[in-house]
Amino acid sequence: MEIGIIEREIHVDASPEIAYEVISSPEHIREWWNGAETDLSPTPGATAELAWGRGTAEPHIEQLTVVDAKPPRVFSFRWVYEGADVATPTNSLLVTFELIPSGAGTTVRLTESGWREKGWEAAVLEAAYTDHVNGWDIFMPSLGAYVTRLVSTP
Amino acid sequence: MTVAIDDGLWSAIGDPTRRRMLDLLLADGAGTATTLSDRLPVTRQAVSKHLVVLDRVGLVHVTPAGRERRYRVDEAQLARAAAQLADVGATWDARLLRIKRIAEAIQRAQD
Repeated sequence: MEIGIIEREIHVDASPEIAYEVISSPEHIREWWNGAETDLSPTPGATAELAWGRGTAEPHIEQLTVVDAKPPRVFSFRWVYEGADVATPTNSLLVTFELIPSGAGTTVRLTESGWREKGWEAAVLEAAYTDHVNGWDIFMPSLGAYVTRLVSTP
Repeated sequence: MTVAIDDGLWSAIGDPTRRRMLDLLLADGAGTATTLSDRLPVTRQAVSKHLVVLDRVGLVHVTPAGRERRYRVDEAQLARAAAQLADVGATWDARLLRIKRIAEAIQRAQD
């Protein structure tokens, strides 16, 4: 288990082509990312904004830079580089979606890394400690446990 | 919605020496700059500087102890730090479930 990286895997009963489209196209991103408006173009090097609540009193805007876009296998981008003009391996988080054909469907493997570089590695180490206190389970959460949360989140 | 990051907390906890200090304080219950520097390959002065950083973000509490200052870990603040990363993981779980539902609905419509 790598420290300082979030890793998730989910099976999708859809082809890699469809999964890739859902993951990388603005119209679907809005659906799965809490209504994020984006002008994303899935091309390596392209930059885009992710915007929530545009036109409201408290808009939230994040910058994003596409790193890799190989349909229907890999889509990755860097984000959370507050205040910097350019995303680099040391100032941002790297999100990678890998799509692996599996039976009639697709295994989607997500990783979000860069925590170590941003000084977050300790969070995972300390979480092991907190695990004993609060019963956190960071690495093996049951997806089912989050369904309620998913349904209740807009 | 997005990652809520407490930068001060994270840079405080991101340093290996400060983490080792937190480990020692947790194991011993409390400590001073002197007791910590005895067990670490750094000077008492360096330990004192690190303690100031930890204190500033609320990860330790200080009480005077004679000529020294005695430090204790704020376990609630430490738990908060850990919970932030747990939240990030849970957020991705929710997003992945939505991706799954959307993709499967499109697939069903095509079949």
